[in-house]
Amino acid sequence: MPVETRRDVFQAIADPTRREIIRILAKEPMNLNSIADNFDVTRPAISNHIRILEECGIIAIEQQGRERLCSIRPVNLKEVSDWIGQFNMLWEHRLESFEKYVNQLKSKRSNHGKRK
Amino acid sequence: MENENDLARRTLTIRKTLDAPIELVWEAWTQTEHIVKWWAPKGMTVKVVKHDFKVGIEWKYTMPMPDGNEFISEGVYSVIEVLKKIITSANFRPMTEGVEMRTLFEKDGDKTHFIFSVVHPTEEYKMQQEKMGFYNGWGSALTRLEEIIKSFKK
Repeated sequence: MPVETRRDVFQAIADPTRREIIRILAKEPMNLNSIADNFDVTRPAISNHIRILEECGIIAIEQQGRERLCSIRPVNLKEVSDWIGQFNMLWEHRLESFEKYVNQLKSKRSNHGKRK
Repeated sequence: MENENDLARRTLTIRKTLDAPIELVWEAWTQTEHIVKWWAPKGMTVKVVKHDFKVGIEWKYTMPMPDGNEFISEGVYSVIEVLKKIITSANFRPMTEGVEMRTLFEKDGDKTHFIFSVVHPTEEYKMQQEKMGFYNGWGSALTRLEEIIKSFKK
């Protein structure tokens, strides 16, 4: 068994089964049994994934009578798209900045040219 | 097809038509005195540590971060075709390693078509990540996650 030390959104989505659980729960909240019905792996294995997802802050578990209802906490998932998005935004901003600079440089040069 | 799709998924491409002659665009993109003016995001400064603009030579820029660490961009040029094409490997530490940056320039009268792409990560990097069981379905998973997140925002 690998030692799992991190508890963040990226660990939550690192495992294919956990990603599938997130996808299923995104549609509607479910209890553990209903989630486990979607998989071929054992209930304890699913239970373990659920525990990790809860510790990562991706799902909330609410006791409803005998049932433990699992639901998604989208706020924490957003961190993933923000993390990816920053690379695209970074380049878009950088190239906008490049374009502005090129325009400045161009007008600077042409002003010099006119004065001569 | 699989590979093409995969490449597309790993590539960020930005196209621009710049209202300036190609010589000027090339100069602004490749000369240190100009790079320091546009490379850094707002509120940050970039220091060009190494920039010997030649094939096989390493370039390195650093940006101090508010927490005292440095954000390092570095790579090695693999292709330089003057007024046409630049390809370089690039690492953006501490975040991303092993990407390839391609910049294409195309003259159109007094304008310049500019195509910039970042392919990240490389096939090799991807395989390494797969061995670690990390990359498996990563791209599609992220797309799905984004869809999920969008649906929550409604």
